Amino acid sequence: MKERLAPAPFSVASFPDSALADHALRIVQALLVDLDGAAAILVASADGFELAHGGRLRSDPARLAAMASSLAALGDTASHETGIGPPRCLVIESNDGRLVVRGMRLRGEPVIVLVLTGQGLLLDRVWNSLAAAETRLGDR
Amino acid sequence: MKEFKIVFTGPPGAGKTTAIAALSDLPPVRTEARNTDATLGPTHITVAMDFGQVDLGRGQWARLFGTPGQARFEFMWRIVAADAAGVVILIDNTRADPLGEFVAYLEAYRDLLPQMTLVAGIGRTDVSRHPTVDDYVEQLTARGLAFPVLEVDVRRRDDVQVMVDMLLTKAQSRS
Repeated sequence: MKERLAPAPFSVASFPDSALADHALRIVQALLVDLDGAAAILVASADGFELAHGGRLRSDPARLAAMASSLAALGDTASHETGIGPPRCLVIESNDGRLVVRGMRLRGEPVIVLVLTGQGLLLDRVWNSLAAAETRLGDR
Repeated sequence: MKEFKIVFTGPPGAGKTTAIAALSDLPPVRTEARNTDATLGPTHITVAMDFGQVDLGRGQWARLFGTPGQARFEFMWRIVAADAAGVVILIDNTRADPLGEFVAYLEAYRDLLPQMTLVAGIGRTDVSRHPTVDDYVEQLTARGLAFPVLEVDVRRRDDVQVMVDMLLTKAQSRS
């Protein structure tokens, strides 16, 4: 059964590059719509600043942005170390939910998109939504 | 074979990544991102950790870990410092408030300090003589702490080696 929630709040962070933050907010909004609000979304700069977030995020967005940056960097390093090419996604599968972390480029800048979902949402769907958002709004 | 975990911590630009690169026998593993914070000097910053390793001889190895410097990565400081044989706190003496940054790191690790073996390395004292090593020691004394504070150039392998040797000597005497 499709999980549908009430419209979720979203916000754009005060970031020096406001155009980048606005673009990040468009990613957040697109993903919230595509995933029927069944997720919390956060976009961070590669060096760990929050750009925008939306949905029911129970964690501190600033702290989560720094964690997303660390996770993405570790994924990148591990991929490089093992020779499996540039990473596309990192997935943390937990008992009560899932974190999906994906790097993309917006306006020429590397950013990290973090999607937090419950177990009810299929991982494939999150992947596809992220890929679609990147194609539509990212630099790809 | 015996292995030791040594952690380099300290504020942004203090030279943690440089120190590990200076001592590591292998090209260090880095997790860097371009710095978007105009108030900071470095063009790139560590966002997760650095890693290197050095052969200490007699079948002993040190694994060298570096923490990110920015306070927003504080969650990594404790993850990286867990089970370390010793911790090096690096400070850049040319920063606006190096003594304040030193105190901030002492506070951040306060509950772990009694179990930790520490050394502080103060860099770029050739450019800025103040605060002096005595000023740093005074801060330690005021907190009932005592550990070596050295003037170092983290680009020099010998300087980094001295700090690691001091830590390991102290750590082994504690165990």
